[in-house]
Amino acid sequence: RTVALEDWSLTPLNEEAKLGARRLARCLQKLGFKVRFSAFRVVNVLAVCSMPFAVHLVDFTKNNRPIASYEPELHPAATYRIKNLKATVQVFSTGSLTVTGPNVQSVASAVEYVYPLLYECQKPRCK
Amino acid sequence: CIIVYKIYNGTYQGDRVIDVGSEWRTFSNEKALKDPSRVGDAQNPLLNGGDLTTMISRGTGAASFDEFGNSKYQNRRTMSSSDRAMLNAFKEISTMADRINLPRNIVDRTNNLFKQVYEQKSLKGRANDAIASACLYIACRQEGVPRTFKEICAVSRISKKEIGRCFKLILKALETSVDLITTGDFMSRFCSNLGLPKQVQMAATFIARKAVELDLVPGRSPISVAAAAIYMASQASAEKKTQKEIGDIAGVADVTIRQSYRLIYPRAAELFPPDFKFDTPVDKLPQL
Repeated sequence: RTVALEDWSLTPLNEEAKLGARRLARCLQKLGFKVRFSAFRVVNVLAVCSMPFAVHLVDFTKNNRPIASYEPELHPAATYRIKNLKATVQVFSTGSLTVTGPNVQSVASAVEYVYPLLYECQKPRCK
Repeated sequence: CIIVYKIYNGTYQGDRVIDVGSEWRTFSNEKALKDPSRVGDAQNPLLNGGDLTTMISRGTGAASFDEFGNSKYQNRRTMSSSDRAMLNAFKEISTMADRINLPRNIVDRTNNLFKQVYEQKSLKGRANDAIASACLYIACRQEGVPRTFKEICAVSRISKKEIGRCFKLILKALETSVDLITTGDFMSRFCSNLGLPKQVQMAATFIARKAVELDLVPGRSPISVAAAAIYMASQASAEKKTQKEIGDIAGVADVTIRQSYRLIYPRAAELFPPDFKFDTPVDKLPQL
């Protein structure tokens, strides 16, 4: 059972993901392992996107108290966990976001969900 | 402790109250250090499950020692078995707090937090010391005198990573949240550790606050900003401290102070408080 981490810069399509996984399986086969390709499943999707504005993390965390968590000593980003979508958004003060979720739809909806909250706390406006 | 019976209005209405204070019948005017009538240790009702233990003191006669010279009747075989781990943790918390001279109220808060977490059992697999350290961190935060993770690390055997993990888990388990740290929380501690006078401390506090307000240091940890502010303030005054010294006290790397300092240096003139006496004028401040 192998877990494959794939990096893509293209629009993600399930077929492409599967092809990538097949390529990986071929590499493993060449290394000498016995490989059987079965039950391909996308488990986790990680997306990076960038807001056109910088975000004031302190205000963002204060407005979204229990859901958002910001520990500057531990990690420079504020983490926002969306329970019903099961997605996590990490917001950096530059305005870039890292979104992780179980599938592509949840990641997309997470970005849409979080955008108005970030818009409220943009840098030139808040501070 | 004694048992008090109350009788009301001729009708016998037995009321039983267990008074856990000292024995009433000691008529001594001086507050003797040892209370001879008290039996057993003061109860800690908030924390213990109410333990009534029997302790065997060291024997004095010949009969109490067996053939090897060890005392025959061992002490504390079964002492509050259900809470032994908790008592151990309290002891550890007390030791850690003692190392950084934390007041009693923080220790009590830590103990309470630990008890809540322990009873919930959601973090049962984690090392008790890790949970204790994280509780200590949370207690300091809640009391308004936060300690950096590195400071807690210094008095604990647990790594910063693990304390951080436990910290997040505990906040989730107890469903509480803590206030965000600010630069001002650490100023008095760092400055007094460095031996800087009050003027410099106030200047550094002002500089750090202004720097955050003007957003000159986005994304920087408040500790790093505070360290850079202290550096700037001390370099402008008579008591100059090196970056290494400040980094040592604050637990911040040399280069980190340098980075933050580079960000606040361009607008140094606006950052100083208006009534500050400069030993070294602003244009003569070191440029790194």
